Amino acid sequence: MKRFIALTAAAVCAACSFSFAGCAENSREVVLRVCSWEEYIDLGGWDDDELIDIDNPFGESEGIFGENSMVDDFTEWFNSNHDYKVKVEYSTFGTNEDLYNRLSLGDEYDLVCPSDYLLMKLIAEGKVEKYSENFRTGEHAYYGEYVSPYIDGIFEKYGWNEYAAGYMWGTTGLVYNPDRISDEKDVASWNMLLNEEYKRQVTIKDNVRDAYFATLGIINSEKLLSGGFSENELSDIMNDTDGATIEKAQEVLKNIKENVYSFETDAGKSDMVTGKVIANYQWSGDAVYIMDEAETDASETELWYSVPEECANLWFDGWVMLKDSIKGDERRKEAAEAFVNFLSRPDNAVRNMYYIGYTSAVAGQTVFDYMEWNYGAEDDAEIYEYDLSYFFGDGEFVVEADAANFGFGEDGVSINRGRQLFAQYPPEEVIKRSVVMLDFGDKLGEINLMWINVRCLDVKDIPVAAVCVTAAIIIAVAAGALLYAFRYKLFIKDRKNNPS
Amino acid sequence: MVLRFNRKQLCIPYAVFLVLFVIVPLFVIAYYAFTDGQGKLSFENFENFFLNTNTLGTLLYSFALAIVTTFVCLLIAYPTAYILARSNFRKKHVLLMLFVLPMWINFTLRITALKEILSALEGNISAYPFLNSVIGMSYDFLPFMILPLYTSLLKLDKSLLEAAADLGGNKFTVFLRVTLPLSVPGIISGVTMVLLPSMTNYVVLDMLYNSTYIMGSLIGSYFSAYDWNNGSMIALILLAIIFVVTLVTDRFSDKDTANRGAVL
Repeated sequence: MKRFIALTAAAVCAACSFSFAGCAENSREVVLRVCSWEEYIDLGGWDDDELIDIDNPFGESEGIFGENSMVDDFTEWFNSNHDYKVKVEYSTFGTNEDLYNRLSLGDEYDLVCPSDYLLMKLIAEGKVEKYSENFRTGEHAYYGEYVSPYIDGIFEKYGWNEYAAGYMWGTTGLVYNPDRISDEKDVASWNMLLNEEYKRQVTIKDNVRDAYFATLGIINSEKLLSGGFSENELSDIMNDTDGATIEKAQEVLKNIKENVYSFETDAGKSDMVTGKVIANYQWSGDAVYIMDEAETDASETELWYSVPEECANLWFDGWVMLKDSIKGDERRKEAAEAFVNFLSRPDNAVRNMYYIGYTSAVAGQTVFDYMEWNYGAEDDAEIYEYDLSYFFGDGEFVVEADAANFGFGEDGVSINRGRQLFAQYPPEEVIKRSVVMLDFGDKLGEINLMWINVRCLDVKDIPVAAVCVTAAIIIAVAAGALLYAFRYKLFIKDRKNNPS
Repeated sequence: MVLRFNRKQLCIPYAVFLVLFVIVPLFVIAYYAFTDGQGKLSFENFENFFLNTNTLGTLLYSFALAIVTTFVCLLIAYPTAYILARSNFRKKHVLLMLFVLPMWINFTLRITALKEILSALEGNISAYPFLNSVIGMSYDFLPFMILPLYTSLLKLDKSLLEAAADLGGNKFTVFLRVTLPLSVPGIISGVTMVLLPSMTNYVVLDMLYNSTYIMGSLIGSYFSAYDWNNGSMIALILLAIIFVVTLVTDRFSDKDTANRGAVL
């Protein structure tokens, strides 16, 4: 036993001294704690044939290729051009709410990547560290140089630019299987979710914000389709959290619940590919992923993505630094900004886009080349000139895409549905009828209660007969159990009373 | 130096565990349950639960689901355990293993497989949410029912059965008057092990496309709206229900140990 104790003590001492030594040695190392969405960054390990064969002015070799993970590449890049070292601790979260709860519990992350509404909330609560001047103008300021003017404009408009740097963005819409719907007009409206013809064949996100947005689209359908709203009017309609509207939404959502296949958190992707459902309410990046998967699947299904004509939800995910974690540490802040800049270098943006399917907030010639490389039409195809100048800025940014990959509205000109390119970069006309869904603010509780009411079984909805039958069964079982429990007592008492 | 361990001291690791991971969190839950967002004492969360027909409905729905699941499990597990325990097969442990084997496979994987099987059988599985949930939960919890039943039936003294038969009981009477009463402790522990988790295991419902909330998902919903107070209150209410159920079943099994003497 003595020996055991001595050994343990020795081991403990060794461990302590080791860790102290470690501290001293690593004092020139900054640990950067990054928390982002699951599967939201290139993890490397590409197959040889996955090389993106376009001109790459940033890399040493031809083309763009994800050999190592983005985080490793960043560490190497950073360490080679700074006089101190960085170590990235990369962790992930599943939902914005999950991230916020973790922050409330005191988890420390220097750099996080929440969606627009959480970003607003964090800024409003004063938790976000401002980006330094150097971020956009200093050395390696890739974000400042290459961010899309469109994204920059949106961030400026909402006052996020000081606090956040855009990462990915997109729309929400419906992925659908054109072979299994009777009319393409059906998927051009949020009413698809209530369409009896497709009863129990459409899935919707299990997420109150997305469900509420679609519901507002349904409630205001006629009004929205008549058109002619200014940007702000549209935003007001789709961000309406008035008590009466919430009540109306509850009724609509109850009907949606009866009509859809399910509220899904993640199963929607595979259900769409395997053909369990014919349409799926989806974020644009996941829509690209689903379309790619279905194409390469044994069934070789060609799926499409539609943005309902009433209104689309524009969303943005951006990098923000958190005050509570940075704690004024200049080097940590510098490392965090360098991380964002590294991800914003166009070749890295392309790697991430290729890997996760979402659309980067970064523009620039390299990204455009990638679009052309990826979606340019074959020689014999009919060409549609898909104009993306609004996103890429000054100059001629038109992808010569295959016309067969776009679906036109009733006027024959406007595009309201399409395949991967359409999902990744919606055309300007879709952008014009889209709004950013703001944070619910203090209405969150009310809306969540509405959501709970939708999802819970209402006692008032239970048929009387069912109540009677159940009550009868319960009483019978309880009586039986009581009789069983006290049978000996009763039995003995009986014997005493009637000595036969 | 010789270290001597008092038998009581052996409990220290567990006591530490208990305090850190059971008692302290319980107090934290209770704190949140009885305060409002600003940290003031409030019973509003309690009212919110019991005055809303929707949340009450969830309680009923969870109960219904749990009771039906338990019943189905019992119906399947009892004959299985009975046959297993009475079989003369020398390697019955192997047989038992076959029933417990599914537990070794990850549960989400199992439910995903079940989803495919049900889809093949039913076509559109979203049309039968309650049925599917019951099937999923029963599949998941069946081993928890079989094991205690098997142990209690295995322990059963064969001479009692012979005595009953000698005294003129036919097979049915022997089962009803001797085997069944003696296996009640097994039934009770099996029921507790299935009933309580099936009130909260919402992952099964999620994966099998049941869009109706049960208690577990209701708590989750409050937490994702940053409303820790209402969420904690529901967790506490659930805890109270579990406590009552355990209390009742405990009385049952105690009675039964006493009764075993009576049978003898």
